[in-house]
Amino acid sequence: MNKFQYLFHTRSGRKNFWCCVLSVVIAVIFLFPLYWMLQISFKSDMETFGKVLTYFPHQFTIDPWLANLKDKDFIASLKNSFINGFLTMFITLVFGIPAAYGMGRYKPKGFKAFLLVFLVSQMLPASLMLTPMYLTFSKIHLLGTYFAPTIAIAAGSIPFAVITLRPYFKSVPVSLDEAARIDGCGVAKSFFLVMVPAVKTGIVTIVVISFLNGWNDLMFSMTFNVKPEMRPLTANIHKFQSKYGTKWNCIMAYGAILVLPVVIMFIFLQKYIVGGLTAGAVKE
Amino acid sequence: MKTQIRSRKDRECYPFILPAFIYLLVVVGYPIVYNFVLSFKNTNVKNLASGSSVFIGFQNYKELFTDPTFLLILRNTFIFTIACLAFQFTIGFLFALFFYKKFTFAGPIRGMILVSYMIPMSVTGLLGQNIFLNTGLINDLLSRIGITGPEWLTQTSTALIGVIIMNNWVGIPFNMLLLISGLSNVPQEVYESSSIDGATKVQQFFQITLPLMKDAIFAVLMLGFIYTFRAFDLMYIMTAGGPLNSTDVLATYSYTLSFTQYQFSKGSAVAVVLFLCLLIVGLFYLRLIVKGEEDT
Repeated sequence: MNKFQYLFHTRSGRKNFWCCVLSVVIAVIFLFPLYWMLQISFKSDMETFGKVLTYFPHQFTIDPWLANLKDKDFIASLKNSFINGFLTMFITLVFGIPAAYGMGRYKPKGFKAFLLVFLVSQMLPASLMLTPMYLTFSKIHLLGTYFAPTIAIAAGSIPFAVITLRPYFKSVPVSLDEAARIDGCGVAKSFFLVMVPAVKTGIVTIVVISFLNGWNDLMFSMTFNVKPEMRPLTANIHKFQSKYGTKWNCIMAYGAILVLPVVIMFIFLQKYIVGGLTAGAVKE
Repeated sequence: MKTQIRSRKDRECYPFILPAFIYLLVVVGYPIVYNFVLSFKNTNVKNLASGSSVFIGFQNYKELFTDPTFLLILRNTFIFTIACLAFQFTIGFLFALFFYKKFTFAGPIRGMILVSYMIPMSVTGLLGQNIFLNTGLINDLLSRIGITGPEWLTQTSTALIGVIIMNNWVGIPFNMLLLISGLSNVPQEVYESSSIDGATKVQQFFQITLPLMKDAIFAVLMLGFIYTFRAFDLMYIMTAGGPLNSTDVLATYSYTLSFTQYQFSKGSAVAVVLFLCLLIVGLFYLRLIVKGEEDT
């Protein structure tokens, strides 16, 4: 029986076929908003302002993208978004990986208290930290630096890193670091040379998610970066909207550029992201 | 002797754990305490520099709970959260059951639709603004089936519905993901033995799947509540809380009070109300997790 026959002439084949059709319909519905954004971003001004709503660009143009990319303010915001992402990632890795190791390999006194602090700080609303942090940062002159928002964002990413990475460290066989110890490695050396490389899949997850936390942040960046020229793309949306008015093609190109790095990471690193989201959210 | 060695070895872990622990105490713990203190004072932009703010007890809270705007916002927050939870959980569960089946596209597509969860919520808000325009996608689709759509985001009766729909675009895939991982923990043998006993699919779902997934379902609902109740970005970009506070929620209102009206203490008081609501639900969730931790 060839593949075609299998597809249509067996019960399980037909079932598989119809499940696939239904799943494609679901995918189309869920991805349609993103397509919608993309297609508007390639429309000419005339078509954008036209009376008839079109579902694909009849006059295809990249002008809306160029309008953004040639704008100095836009490039500055784009740079700030990257800084936000990388700084958040850096802080998260420096604090999160060691803590995950400590929590995964040992059961020290106060273990429950540590775990509780990590779990609770992941659940807290940013609103609760916003006003007091603003006042504190303003006192110690940290407002208007790239550190102000990223310190706050990382406070959400570090617990995520600990909770997600901990099972990875737990599953590394004890014999592995014992062997390293016998070979004369100290605690620090065996951590860096043996343990960290052993959990690199988990670390990729943390790298991606913490970068995205920084990249996607709106609330902290807009509040703590008091100078608009230091704000990332997310925090300048309203500013550019008032600049573009109802030129939705330019606004949607703005949104598309903001989404692009996320989609690219998602395509190439999907398994790390999906696995991490599940592990970080509900623990088994 | 053995315990001594064990405890000495355990001490090694503090240099690893403490930096992150202290970081969180300083960056998260301290602001929370400070936030509570602020909410009992009258700090605003005028007395901030001089430091002449004083304690006024529960005055901020009294003013809030007699303010019709605040009560409307409290109501909005609960309507938003409950509506989002109801839809994203039900549809998310149906999707989870569907994508848990083994068919050729199951893996790739269930991954693909998660992308809406990854993109910035502010872009979701931007998209929502566009597709709910009077001449936007939603009304265009409605007109094709003969319905004249409302002016979604410019009238108070429909704006929140638009925001809820956009939030579900993100929430459904996320609920699906978590529920699939819950489904995969249900042992397959239970189904096999029950189908020998002649149970139908529907009976299996209500008598086996649901009871065995109790903890996973509970966790998904708790998490959903926590994530949805604190929503900010979506409303801030999509509607800026308007029209007439009809899409304002606790998080956006707290922000407005603190950073556009510079009534820092009042903003903090709203944040405390937000926190207390989350705390009640969060405690149940924590108990579930810590219990699970003890079992392992």
